[in-house]
Amino acid sequence: MGTRPGRGTANRGGGRAGTRLRRGGVAMAGGGPRRCRRLEADAARAVLGAADTLLFDCDGVLWRGEAAVGGAAAALGRLAAAGKRLCYVTNNSSRTRAAYTEKLRRLGFPPAEPRHVFGSAYCAARYLRQALPLGAAAYVLGSPALAAELEAVGVPHLGPGPAALPGPAPADWAQAPLDPAVRAVLVGFDEHFSYAKLCQALRYLLRGGPDCLLVGTNRDHRLPLEGGTAIPGTGCLVKAVETAAQREAFIVGKPNRYMFDCVASEFDIDPTRTIMVGDRLDTDILMGNSCGLTTLLTLTGVTTLDEVKGHQESDCPARQSLVPDYYVDSIADLLPALGD
Amino acid sequence: MASCRRLSGAGLREVLGPAQGLLFDCDGVLWAGERAVPGAPELLERLRRSGKAALFVSNNSRRSVAELERRFSRLGFRGVRAEHVFSSALCSALFLRQRLLGGGGNGSGGGRVFVLGGEGLRGEVRDAGLRLAGEGDPGAAEPVRAVLVGYDDQFTFAKLAQACGYLRDPQCLLVATDPDPWHPLSDGQRTPGTGSLTAAVETASGRKALVVGKPNTYMFDCIVERFGVDPSRTLMVGDRLETDILFGKNCGLSTILTLTGVSRLEEAQAYMASDSAAAKALVPNYYVDSIADLIPGLDE
Repeated sequence: MGTRPGRGTANRGGGRAGTRLRRGGVAMAGGGPRRCRRLEADAARAVLGAADTLLFDCDGVLWRGEAAVGGAAAALGRLAAAGKRLCYVTNNSSRTRAAYTEKLRRLGFPPAEPRHVFGSAYCAARYLRQALPLGAAAYVLGSPALAAELEAVGVPHLGPGPAALPGPAPADWAQAPLDPAVRAVLVGFDEHFSYAKLCQALRYLLRGGPDCLLVGTNRDHRLPLEGGTAIPGTGCLVKAVETAAQREAFIVGKPNRYMFDCVASEFDIDPTRTIMVGDRLDTDILMGNSCGLTTLLTLTGVTTLDEVKGHQESDCPARQSLVPDYYVDSIADLLPALGD
Repeated sequence: MASCRRLSGAGLREVLGPAQGLLFDCDGVLWAGERAVPGAPELLERLRRSGKAALFVSNNSRRSVAELERRFSRLGFRGVRAEHVFSSALCSALFLRQRLLGGGGNGSGGGRVFVLGGEGLRGEVRDAGLRLAGEGDPGAAEPVRAVLVGYDDQFTFAKLAQACGYLRDPQCLLVATDPDPWHPLSDGQRTPGTGSLTAAVETASGRKALVVGKPNTYMFDCIVERFGVDPSRTLMVGDRLETDILFGKNCGLSTILTLTGVSRLEEAQAYMASDSAAAKALVPNYYVDSIADLIPGLDE
């Protein structure tokens, strides 16, 4: 067994990014480019055996819409039975942790507590709780779930739902009173997004200048729906606000490392014994690679093997960092390695 | 590189004397909100008496040129006719007519246009002989061949999703009236511009928009086609470095920055001091505090 790096802040160190030191256990792409090898048979047993914690993206990995990926629940059941810690890390900001916990239960996955679920809504609320002065509020472009997560951590907020503004025209909106407590604009998935709300967000950002935070839950371009369709994602709304305000948002979600930091602050995580499982290269795999985790791509979501090969064959270091250590067609493929 | 010289005294006559015409941006140059810039109507009058042409080129896609003609009159400007006014609404409609109807404008075939914008923009698209998605015979199965993003104060998530649906067809064009990220309000606040809405549509669809307005040169092509302007004898007057002044440079015009609008002199000077070629392209040849300062450069 390898030695474990120190607990607490050492686990959050950025130093692990790019360095793949191994002591004992399985050599996982030590030091060189990641190889995206199919994970099966002996390698699968070794890699899974050496891991304490698995982080799972949800959409496209565990389920698609309301349909569980065949065999996924069984595979996670065996991992849990083997004593692995299972956490769920998702950019989807339209659900609360409690709702995800309930969905996991409903689709037959091993019992999870909300503390195992790291959605971008919850993590954004945590971020604001630590970044805002006491009593400061957030103007929110987001869902009831995002509002609920803010409520749960005690961050005052306003904004969710349809814009409630006086008059039909921008000239009227520019006269609406601004709440003096607002010191942050938070952008999440918002089906009520409108020009009027964009106006208000811009007014708060201009009033506060650098003292008003601009935070986005994630940059995903599209939100997948059941049946293969997709609707515009939060990234579009973040871009609209960033363009109007001519400034860049702090992004909570993958591939940025803040959500991993949340996991590491809740649990004793050893990056060298942690596997990130996802279906998107530019969020799941990139975050996992940046945080020094072992990364496993599943092909039940948005990514094809051809895309990975394209990145592997490129000379560009940014594209190389999108390549996972391993892949499977589905996480059900892990079952044989987890048998008896 | 342009040197951002204050235009005054003898310099005024040297620059204005040979000019055959001036292109003016509108917001922040001729007026601010509902108020004409003091002296601006007189300047236009003096230009006319001097035999110099005045044409207008605006990124504002809210109003039809007919509405703009009424606005000029209401704010005290005499003699400005719709045909002198090149708005991004008009030019986007002309652009789409060219691309979808081959310039014939006879209204047959060509598909429909999904417009994110107000009635002024929609009217210009209709006047160009195009049909709008969501209007007319709902049974028509005619495909949507273009999504046009303009200033849309009724923009919603639902419209964003609808636009993306149309853009899944790679044959469907994505066009934006202008790139402006925000516009100033008279009390110093800002309102989001077409650029911010275009960014949302581009991000959702994975496509890049064709942008009709300044600093791109299509609006100048429209001006040349209608009036045959000689760039070497034409001056561009504007208040926004990133659109007006860059537009002038891209079209081969000498440029004058007026300080009654968006850009500050310090910004122009910062661009001048920069090492980047892109920044230097934003530096005007000349500047004035207000276009009224140009009056002494014209014959009595």
